[in-house]
Amino acid sequence: MLALQLLCNGIVTGCALGIVAVSFSLVYATTKIFHVAHAGVYTMSGYVAWSLLRHGFPAPIAFVGAIAAATALGALIQGVLYARLERRRATHLVVLIASLGTLAVIQNILAAVFTANILQFELPWGSQVFHLGGNVRLTMTQLLTVLVNVAAYGGVMWFSHGTILGKQIRAVASNPFLAEIVRLQPRRVHIYVMAIASALVCLPGILVPLDFGLQPYNGVTPLLTATIAMIAGGVGSITGAFVLAIVITELQNMSLLFIPGEWSIGVTFFIFVVFMLFRPTGLFAAAR
Amino acid sequence: MDFWFSYIALASIYVLLGLSTNLLVGIAGIFSVSQAAVFGVGAYIVAFFLMNETMSFLPALAIAALCCIALNILVTLPALRVSGDYFVVTSFGIQLLATAVFTNWTDGTGGANGLPGIPPPDLAGKALESSGEVVSLCVAGMGLGCLIFWLVMRAPFGRLLRAIREDELAVAAAGKSVLRAKVSAAALAGAFAGTAGGLYATFLSFIDPSSFDLDSSILLLTMVVVGGARTLAGSILGPFLLLALPQILTLVDIPTTVAAAARQLIYGVLLIAFMLFRPQGLAGEKL
Amino acid sequence: MRTLLRYGIGVIAVVLAATSAHADTIRFGAILPLTGPGAGIGTQQMRGIQFAVEKANAAGGVHGNTIEILFEDNQAKPDQSILSFNKLADLQHVPMIFSAYSGPSLAMAPLATRKKILLVNAGAQADKLATASPYLVNTLPTIGDEIKVISKYLAGEGKKQAAILFENDAAGIAGRDDYQKYFPEAGGTILAQEPTQFGQTDFRPALLKLADAKPEVMLVSITAAALQMAQQYKQLGLNFAVAGTTFLQDPTLVADPSSEGIVHTQVRIDAPPELAAEFKAKFGVEMEFFVRQYYNATQIILAVTDRLLTEGKPITGESMHDMLFTIGKFQGLIPLEFKTNTATVPLDINVMKGGKDVTIKQMSSD
Repeated sequence: MLALQLLCNGIVTGCALGIVAVSFSLVYATTKIFHVAHAGVYTMSGYVAWSLLRHGFPAPIAFVGAIAAATALGALIQGVLYARLERRRATHLVVLIASLGTLAVIQNILAAVFTANILQFELPWGSQVFHLGGNVRLTMTQLLTVLVNVAAYGGVMWFSHGTILGKQIRAVASNPFLAEIVRLQPRRVHIYVMAIASALVCLPGILVPLDFGLQPYNGVTPLLTATIAMIAGGVGSITGAFVLAIVITELQNMSLLFIPGEWSIGVTFFIFVVFMLFRPTGLFAAAR
Repeated sequence: MDFWFSYIALASIYVLLGLSTNLLVGIAGIFSVSQAAVFGVGAYIVAFFLMNETMSFLPALAIAALCCIALNILVTLPALRVSGDYFVVTSFGIQLLATAVFTNWTDGTGGANGLPGIPPPDLAGKALESSGEVVSLCVAGMGLGCLIFWLVMRAPFGRLLRAIREDELAVAAAGKSVLRAKVSAAALAGAFAGTAGGLYATFLSFIDPSSFDLDSSILLLTMVVVGGARTLAGSILGPFLLLALPQILTLVDIPTTVAAAARQLIYGVLLIAFMLFRPQGLAGEKL
Repeated sequence: MRTLLRYGIGVIAVVLAATSAHADTIRFGAILPLTGPGAGIGTQQMRGIQFAVEKANAAGGVHGNTIEILFEDNQAKPDQSILSFNKLADLQHVPMIFSAYSGPSLAMAPLATRKKILLVNAGAQADKLATASPYLVNTLPTIGDEIKVISKYLAGEGKKQAAILFENDAAGIAGRDDYQKYFPEAGGTILAQEPTQFGQTDFRPALLKLADAKPEVMLVSITAAALQMAQQYKQLGLNFAVAGTTFLQDPTLVADPSSEGIVHTQVRIDAPPELAAEFKAKFGVEMEFFVRQYYNATQIILAVTDRLLTEGKPITGESMHDMLFTIGKFQGLIPLEFKTNTATVPLDINVMKGGKDVTIKQMSSD
């Protein structure tokens, strides 16, 4: 019973993390920016949804509002900051630190406006419990998390392989110079990518706090784990990022069966480091 | 006077760390975000020997430096196998792994409770208890570190490192061993970090995992970039400035309860502005 | 090197400019986590101090002297705390500093002893704080004192098979160690223990693993996110009892249906309704536990200052320390007495019932 319930919880958390990884991977594969401020977009979307709900808007409108706000923020960061840095030919390290600065700005605006306390959503339907077979219990929020994020994964797959914009993005990602020559306007594509990735990260950005509450400084851990999933899955592989995110959370969850919880994070990262030494290009790199 | 002493001592320690990070990231081009982990190992080793009265400060510091040399080589080895961004994330993993060990290996590190009551450093059998003596020790450590850094950068070895960063292939084609150069840089960086750790533990007399976490590693990177990568002056300026910044920001008078968050916000804005308008840092070469 | 000098001098000049002082104000310090994951509690603590000081100043100050508190943000980190401590001690010459969180308080304790500056902790509860420094006083009992009480109570209720849920940081681990020591002493058995990370609110894996050990009661030692813990406990359909210490007292938890039946020790600290209302009018939030604790601690400090001024004595760390123990008994929000460096205060056993925290037994922390 324990193993099964842990497995199910791991899938729930993993699906949410998967979309964080997929959205980060979209940005990273296209722009080569280690977009740490993505954690800020992720956190902010939850706060926007929370405050719209507080002001009496119905849940769907609140969620759409949050997605719109995050999309705008993502495009803004790309258009105002990253594009400018790129024009000045800033190095990776410089962009990374600017991104860290942006993250600090977003987090602290949230902390100043909403306080650093944990905020809980007041949506009674979210905590409704469903009994699945074998004594497994999942809440409405958890089920929704799985459904929405898996659907989002499907959507991204379709988008990047089945639409023109998606193909353009992949073209820019694989060869920006060539893309420039054939008038794909990489800069414009970069803004689209950031907007899409920011909209995408809203889904876990709203669903995860529905379950666990909101904290302004809490986006970094999921983002880091997601980047690790992205790298281990192979940069550019959407499936790789999504699957590896689930694998990593399952590792953390299931390792509890064998070792004390203190060490579950340590063991997970140990496995990761060893893995990187032996297969440095990631698991799904060939699928690119 | 103690505030200045503690500020100078802490900044000196961070200068050593800045040199270490600068060597790896700025000069050898190994983008490590786990320098705080190596720093922590140095601190815990010195704390362990001094608290158990196994030996005096200098031999303990030497052992810490040696261990950190070995560890830093080990930690940067993946950089020779995986390149660029892959290594960054591997390095993240190493840092998180180290934090897990610092937090949970209670018998060795005191766990999350930390180690209180680390004795002051001693030289030639005399304990350095006054803050003036401790600060002199830290400044001496920093001076020595800077001297070594300066000499290394002027030596042929320094030019080799710069050349590797510019064009690794060309260096290899010229018949120089890239591997050996990188490993030597990692070793030197490890020695700096280990020494800094030992000084930090004895200066604060208390260490816990929060001083050696990912945030600290990122702070180190920020110090190097803001100060100026690849130069000695940059490695000195960065730590002195970034350690003073929180203190300077308290001068910005924000009377409400959001003051602290607002100050961190200003810090973020400053970082962004800096990267936009002076990406080479205060005294650095273009990255 | 020229750039180095130029910027160096700039920095020094700016910091020096900050260090001029005014007359007729008495300055104290407070080193609290005002940003970062500890900021939620740190902000409560700051408001408690501000509220007490502003009330005192509005009433004419202490013997006509305005009280000013210099707040420093340490992000709950020891090295920042040391810098802040030295800054307050050397540049502002404060005789007394409020502190919080176990790690930073332990790191500052040796400095407090050396510089004879009174360090007042009204938030952290690690057992080591009781003996860390003669100049470190705690206005609330250590976690060990509370756990002795709850362990005896639970054993008396026949709940002897326990599992521990603890936060993997200094405060949470101190609680776990005390449960491991005092619960068996009271006749119980510890079946399992599981950590959670501070700031993380996913308790399900830990709760599931503890449930697998089939305990009668879960002993909780977490300092944050108690509401999320209780909600997840309910959602998983677990049915063992839940017990803990003052850390569990969180108004949002008490008001939530998932808290029904949680038993915990509670350091008694009640704010009179009119005071709580005044606080709410001023800050727009409830006067929560740590607000009351630091309000209370500030009142003690103001009482000590008042007495020193009445007797015409200088206000130094040493004189404040001595006066605190000379007075011994204080009546702030609660009656408390300093027999040692850790105050003896009333301690209750509460149970959460129907959205209220009901006291079922009253005792004292010794």
